Amino acid sequence: MRRRALVFSLAGLSCAPALPRLNVFNWSDYVAPETVPGFEKEFGVRVRYSIYESNEEMLARVFSGNSGWDVVFPTHYIVPPMREQGLLVPLDHSKLPNLKNLDPAFARPTLTSHAAPYMWNATGILFHKKMQPPPTSWADLWNPRVAGKITMLDDPAEVLAAALRKLGHSLNSGDPDQLRAAQREAMRQKPLLRAYLNSEVRDQVVAGDVLAAQLWSTTAQQAIDAAPDLDFVYPSEGFPVNLDCAVILRESPRQELAHQWINYLLRPEVSARVADSMRTATANAAAKPLLAPKTRENPTLYPTPEVMARAEWFETMTPAAQRLRDRLWTEIKSG
Amino acid sequence: MMRLRTLFLLPAWAFTLLLFLGPMLIIVVYSLQTKGVYGGVVEPWTLENYTRLLDPLYGVILLRSFVMAGASTIGCIVLAFPLALYIARSGTRKTLLLNLVMLPFWTSFLVRTYAWMFLLRDTGLLNSALLALGIISEPLPLLYNDWAVIVGLVYGYLPFAVLPLYSNLERLDKSLLEAAADLGAKPWETMLHVVLPLTAPGMRAAGVLVFIPCLGAYLTPDLLGGGKSMMIGNLVQNQFTTARDWPFGSALSLALMAIVMLLLWALLRRDGEEML
Repeated sequence: MRRRALVFSLAGLSCAPALPRLNVFNWSDYVAPETVPGFEKEFGVRVRYSIYESNEEMLARVFSGNSGWDVVFPTHYIVPPMREQGLLVPLDHSKLPNLKNLDPAFARPTLTSHAAPYMWNATGILFHKKMQPPPTSWADLWNPRVAGKITMLDDPAEVLAAALRKLGHSLNSGDPDQLRAAQREAMRQKPLLRAYLNSEVRDQVVAGDVLAAQLWSTTAQQAIDAAPDLDFVYPSEGFPVNLDCAVILRESPRQELAHQWINYLLRPEVSARVADSMRTATANAAAKPLLAPKTRENPTLYPTPEVMARAEWFETMTPAAQRLRDRLWTEIKSG
Repeated sequence: MMRLRTLFLLPAWAFTLLLFLGPMLIIVVYSLQTKGVYGGVVEPWTLENYTRLLDPLYGVILLRSFVMAGASTIGCIVLAFPLALYIARSGTRKTLLLNLVMLPFWTSFLVRTYAWMFLLRDTGLLNSALLALGIISEPLPLLYNDWAVIVGLVYGYLPFAVLPLYSNLERLDKSLLEAAADLGAKPWETMLHVVLPLTAPGMRAAGVLVFIPCLGAYLTPDLLGGGKSMMIGNLVQNQFTTARDWPFGSALSLALMAIVMLLLWALLRRDGEEML
């Protein structure tokens, strides 16, 4: 079996046309079916497109500086450390006229020097409507009445964020006392949890195994689209926001092509197609009028300004805070 | 002749040096350096990653891993022994049965672990069947606990226990069994006093082959344990992903390797060449 696959792939190599090839490493479910073929056709290139499920997975690959990828999509708080590590090149704004399409709320100059905001999401609670009363706050995920029917994300930043906001602290807190208090909250919650799950919890909420799950808005929306019995809420204590951005790696020998790809993604019609078909939230203001009304007016993907007032952006941690958080997380998981 | 032999051995040596010792060396170097802010390793050189291993927190995780791996190994051997005995006495169907034991390897371990999730979840096959039969009225929490992890590990590594036990039982001298029977031993006495002692090397081999991968398992505890319990494999994985602490992850995996080597050495010393 394996030998045959090898023979095929060798044959594929030998007869492939010598087109320039762009290497794009992106989150799963983050382009429309026609996004990549459209770019290949228009620019006469081939795109090697592959997907990842976490920033860490992507970082581990590109850290060596010879990963073979040209464009990757870190979340906003990963951009400064990647820049400091010399992994990124500054974006040439003269080659990215479509940057003007971005929503000013996302186009922070400190970010756009090296990164083009792409899609964003926030963390809240996906729940089954048979959970009565429906959850409105993080504190509802500490309710023993739904013990064994709740999940939290398998992610230290997210779990601590929920616990910190529940206690009234900033979710970016680096204060040891606040973090320890948040850890105690998380450990108090652990016996009530079914599991720590990321996107894979989707099916279990649809099936009704799980009643409430801490989850990202876009992943939650995909579940809601599949099952009308589900709903999503942005917790009253406040919630984190994540903005995924396109960046060009310094190692890339195809800077020109990489800029063309990013500028292509920033086109209103391309961005709107991605947002519509993948049900994600675009950071592209010019794309919003092109969205199907059911996407544009969706309260999970595009929460109202009142809801957004409770949002807090994740920030880059100091090494000391990061280390303490890692240790607290290991204690939570092994406790 | 000598030169020809060297020539033929060259690829194997090159393979081992380049693809096994090379990466090992990198891990050793990493383990002696300092964590970069977002992954990677930086100067200065330090032994701190090793002193951190003494933290009781990691001892607890290691102990847990030993208990889980030990329970899974016992489960594997208990299930594998009758199966291996049956196959060894199956005459012409041996090859077919052995192939059936190997069959799961045709599918990725990840996919098979997902299949277990579908079996064990609340709306899964097992709970649905029990509910339909009226044996239970509420779905049992079968998934996301230590038992689910052990079931997954036993399932995953059962073939590794069957094969050495089979080859041991297969080579068992039948005349010894006949002699036992002639001398008046009941079947269970033959089993206890003849078969079991004679298959001890097979059991040890099976134990080693199952215990070592179980000790380092990370996929099964993650998927079937729901991330609620941490085994040493998950701790290592976490260092390379979420914690972005490659030096400590390297030190941890080297420590794990050292423990496994020590265990192997102790066992091999006892068994001599019998086990090989």
